[in-house]
Amino acid sequence: MAMSDRFLPLAHTPERATSETALTRAVLIAIALLFLAAVLFLPLVTVFMEALRKGWGTLFESFSDPDTLAAVRLTLIVAAIAVPFNAIVGLAASWAIAKFEFKGKNLLLTLIDLPFSISPVISGLVFVLLFGAQGWLGPWLVAHDIQIIFAVPGIVLATVLVTFPFVARELIPLMQSQGTSEEEAALMLGASGWYTFLHVTLPNVKWALLYGVLLCNARAMGEFGAVSVVSGHIRGLTNTMPLHIEILYNEYNFVGAFAVASLLACLALLTLLAKSLLEWRFSDELAATARRH
Amino acid sequence: MQLFNRRSIALGAAALFLSFEAGQALADRTLLNVSYDPTREFYKEFNAAFAADWKARTGETITIDQSHGGSGKQARAVIDGLQADVVTLALAGDVDQIANKTDKLPKDWAAKLPHNAAPYTSTIVFLVRKGNPKDIKDWSDLVKDGVQVITPNPKTSGGARWNYLAAWAYAEKALDGDEAKVKEWVADLYRNVPVLDTGARGSTTTFAQRGIGDVLISWENEAFLVQKEFGADNFDIVVPSLSILAEPPVAVVEGNAKAKGNLDVAEAYLKFLYTPEGQKLAAKNFFRPVDPSAADPADLARFPKVELVAIDKDFGGWSKAQKEFFADGAIFDQIYRPTN
Amino acid sequence: MSVPVRVRNLEKNFGRYPALKGVSLDVEAGELVALLGPSGSGKTTLLRAIAGLEQADGGQVLFGDIDANSLSLRERRIGFVFQQYALFKHMTVFDNIAFGLRARPRSSRPSEAAIKSRVLDLLHLVQLDGLEVRYPAQLSGGQRQRVALARALAIEPRVLLLDEPFGALDARVRKDLRKWLRELHQRTGHTTLFVTHDQDEAFELADRIAILDKGCIEQVGTAAEILEHPATPFIDSFIEGIARREAQARDWTKPHVVASR
Ligand SMILES: Nc1ncnc2c1ncn2[C@@H]1O[C@H](COP(=O)(O)OP(=O)(O)OP(=O)(O)O)[C@@H](O)[C@H]1O
Ligand SMILES: [Mg+2]
Repeated sequence: MAMSDRFLPLAHTPERATSETALTRAVLIAIALLFLAAVLFLPLVTVFMEALRKGWGTLFESFSDPDTLAAVRLTLIVAAIAVPFNAIVGLAASWAIAKFEFKGKNLLLTLIDLPFSISPVISGLVFVLLFGAQGWLGPWLVAHDIQIIFAVPGIVLATVLVTFPFVARELIPLMQSQGTSEEEAALMLGASGWYTFLHVTLPNVKWALLYGVLLCNARAMGEFGAVSVVSGHIRGLTNTMPLHIEILYNEYNFVGAFAVASLLACLALLTLLAKSLLEWRFSDELAATARRH
Repeated sequence: MQLFNRRSIALGAAALFLSFEAGQALADRTLLNVSYDPTREFYKEFNAAFAADWKARTGETITIDQSHGGSGKQARAVIDGLQADVVTLALAGDVDQIANKTDKLPKDWAAKLPHNAAPYTSTIVFLVRKGNPKDIKDWSDLVKDGVQVITPNPKTSGGARWNYLAAWAYAEKALDGDEAKVKEWVADLYRNVPVLDTGARGSTTTFAQRGIGDVLISWENEAFLVQKEFGADNFDIVVPSLSILAEPPVAVVEGNAKAKGNLDVAEAYLKFLYTPEGQKLAAKNFFRPVDPSAADPADLARFPKVELVAIDKDFGGWSKAQKEFFADGAIFDQIYRPTN
Repeated sequence: MSVPVRVRNLEKNFGRYPALKGVSLDVEAGELVALLGPSGSGKTTLLRAIAGLEQADGGQVLFGDIDANSLSLRERRIGFVFQQYALFKHMTVFDNIAFGLRARPRSSRPSEAAIKSRVLDLLHLVQLDGLEVRYPAQLSGGQRQRVALARALAIEPRVLLLDEPFGALDARVRKDLRKWLRELHQRTGHTTLFVTHDQDEAFELADRIAILDKGCIEQVGTAAEILEHPATPFIDSFIEGIARREAQARDWTKPHVVASR
């Protein structure tokens, strides 16, 4: 009785949303931090340590390997095509879904999510079934001497498919929650559809768009499964960085494998850094659009 | 707005620049050799030797691209349109698949080159930890309690099928061909396997790098390679009383080579495998040469004599073995139960 | 500058649900008409159909003599104030008000200097001098409401459509803004149609009142006409509250609350 009386006022303190004790909170925070250290930080450190196991000289040597350079270049090319493409198409799709009513909208929504729910390997196989020599379009492509799978176009297509949902999934909920009233207001003020899109719709979602683009980019550079199926694994030609890492690893070239892995990790960290910098630089605007990540 | 504009312009420029760069590489003729996993190191050396030889004979600079992966997967990729000029795979059955599913390879491809189109052979041996702490001498030791055996999954790996058939052949001999007992014995063996990797390289890494298991059933060349890469003082090779003769075949994918104008160089490439220089390099990279006369005697000394069964003679060929043991619902599916 | 708005037999269905069943209504040039009706009666739908935000299924809207269908949204020159203001969150008050001017094609776009002086004039008109650098999130509800109105006025509209302009505000602020809007209308003289579900507001502000129920106009008239001769039993019950308060007010003080114009 006495105990519960004593604790009663605490529970009524307005700032407190929950009634956990300080100890519970500290334990929860500690668990979260430990978990992050174990599954995020440790592996990352391991990657860099393995890469440096035989010193900086060996590390730089692995980067001068022409096959490694080719893998880096291919990865950048694929990302440079897939990411802008998905940003534009994702933006258009989200815009259509969030701002207009049309038949087949639910189908479109499901389709956008599809790459998330099917295994990347299947995403790759789809293109083999479509463009492979035994596939639907295979004979036509062969007759016209067009190579899609086991070449760069196939890798780009597989990457586009797997990374498609990132931008759209970031934008659709945000655009839906924002509704169409600002756009309608702009139209009533005499703005054209395009002007409205550029000056009202886009600024309202630009942080989400940027976030989606960054996620999309990270996945585009890191995708393994789908790309592996359509790559053909030709050294120096169709190996992206993740595929090249596997090959180096399988050749017992652990330093080389971890060197490329650390480069990939660096690219990911750079992406994160870019995002944080932008958030910091434009924090005023960010607060004004009232959306925080 | 500014931000997005500048970003996309930069990306576009980068893409243009990079694709230009990539386009530069396509100058002389390029040959694509689609191979299986354990041949990486061998073909790296062999390709350099062939390119030098071709240059000396014709003056043409030739580039050879390599693609490696599980043998069955690689065959599938060629069927699906991977533009291989030559295939150098683990099993004749995989080359047969290409011949059956496409018209790029003649059905009698095996007759086009000597020795059933297999320029080198290999066999299955055991790799154990230094000093052989579990005292493993033969197949019979692999079914003992407390012995952990590492071998890949025969459903997905060509190498694993060789392992399986070698074990089967041993059991058949040891148990006088009593099929029920043989099955029981092989089932016991797979009960001792803690991890079934999807490929031979995966199993090797599991055993050598991650330190799991007491014995790795492995290609002979792979076992030697592990000793080379990880140090001979870490692992011992044990040769069982009976093993299997593996004849990894090679073939020109004529359809592709013709279309690319590479037929002459593709044929020369495979013939070069049979030359003294090619045979010597095979032996150096731990493959048993079919014509040992040119090989370094020191390399040859590494290959012990062993009683070998052959797939055609003892199992009635690959397609029969495939149906009997590895097809869905066949013997392997009946005996293998994952332990955890 | 102001034009009359004529609505002829307007029909609008959402799927199979008829939201407007042949609505006709005239708003004369410079007149202030209140659109009154219970929730779901179709008030917003009617306003949006007039604005062109909703495609009507039948009937006609005329601005003066011109069929609205032949005009683009820009050409209609309608100042629309939304129920939830719909201010541009990422723009300052200044940029919000300037939006309609800046969005014009280059040939008819005023210079930045002209835009600036117009925006400052409008801010003064809506009594928000000095707040041009704020973002909408930094304004009170009543201030946002006035920004929305200034933004609508910036394009020199020929017609003003206001959807429950004071709906989200508390009673005191509503009263102040009501008076202010009345004065503003007297000064600017826009043809104005405004939606409300607050009978007091309608009766106090409007020249005439249109009462809508279930997608049909039940009665249009001045406050006095409606109070004295309710056309249908629905109106009778709908304005009951007003009539009683009217009567009480008359009993106690006698001045004419409604038609005090
Ligand atoms: N987009 C729409 N889709 C389907 N039905 C709609 C849509 N918009 C409105 N309706 C229906 O049309 C009818 C009229 O709606 P409207 O918004 O015009 O009512 P209102 O008079 O403005 O009500 P309130 O006073 O609550 O704002 C309602 O029954 C509403 O459910
Ligand atoms: Mg409404």
